[in-house]
Amino acid sequence: MTKDALSLTFSALADPTRRQILARLANGELSVTQLAEPFKMTMPGVSKHLKVLERAGLIMRSREAQWRPAKLQAEPLKEVADWVEQYRHNWEESFDKLDAYLKTIQSEDRDSDK
Amino acid sequence: MEQVEVGQIEVSRTFEAPLELLWKAWTEPEHFMQWYGPKGFTAPTCEIDLRVGGRHLWSMQSPDGNPMYFTGSYKEVEPMERLVFTDSMSDAEGNVLGMGEGMPESMDVTVTFEHAEGKTTVTVSHMGAEQAGMGWEQAFDKLASVLTKS
Repeated sequence: MTKDALSLTFSALADPTRRQILARLANGELSVTQLAEPFKMTMPGVSKHLKVLERAGLIMRSREAQWRPAKLQAEPLKEVADWVEQYRHNWEESFDKLDAYLKTIQSEDRDSDK
Repeated sequence: MEQVEVGQIEVSRTFEAPLELLWKAWTEPEHFMQWYGPKGFTAPTCEIDLRVGGRHLWSMQSPDGNPMYFTGSYKEVEPMERLVFTDSMSDAEGNVLGMGEGMPESMDVTVTFEHAEGKTTVTVSHMGAEQAGMGWEQAFDKLASVLTKS
């Protein structure tokens, strides 16, 4: 995934309302009306959020029904999870180096005591 | 694919070394430069002003690339116990660079130190600073379950 695509995903996820929309869609597709209900938001308001999510590839608007339900797409979330895992991997490698370094300086201390 | 906690990364390791040495490794540049960074990376420069509000500026050099610089300030300094600092990519002078629209510009890094029976456990937790206040993990509990199905 390009860095730009990841940025789009992060942008989309940065808004708490959009995250709530995604969380609800995790249970199944919903119409714009159904999504707007709990937020007491206007339909254009919800549509604006859906456009951002669609642009990031996080949802797909089905053309099957006239009410065009929104459906969650997991792939960008997986990219985010991979990005986070990369950080974890980097820390583990840093810790490997720290471990080796600590062993080195401690054995040097022991040698210098002889 | 198992459930993932997205947004907060927590990594722990127990080292066969005394607490004081681990604290030095994280707070004294001459030690810090010897280990910090993933495999194959070196940390050629490091400045640490160890106090609340003090700044840090260190670099990371990949085997084949240009150096990258990281800067930030210390939010908590509790000797032998806890270190909290912000971390952002920067230029060589320490001016923060954005990582792209929507990407966390600054990460909060929390390092805790625990000592038991001659060994020291260090835990690093790393969270996007803006995400820290946004209930990131709660939103992802449900989303992570979607990932396990796909």
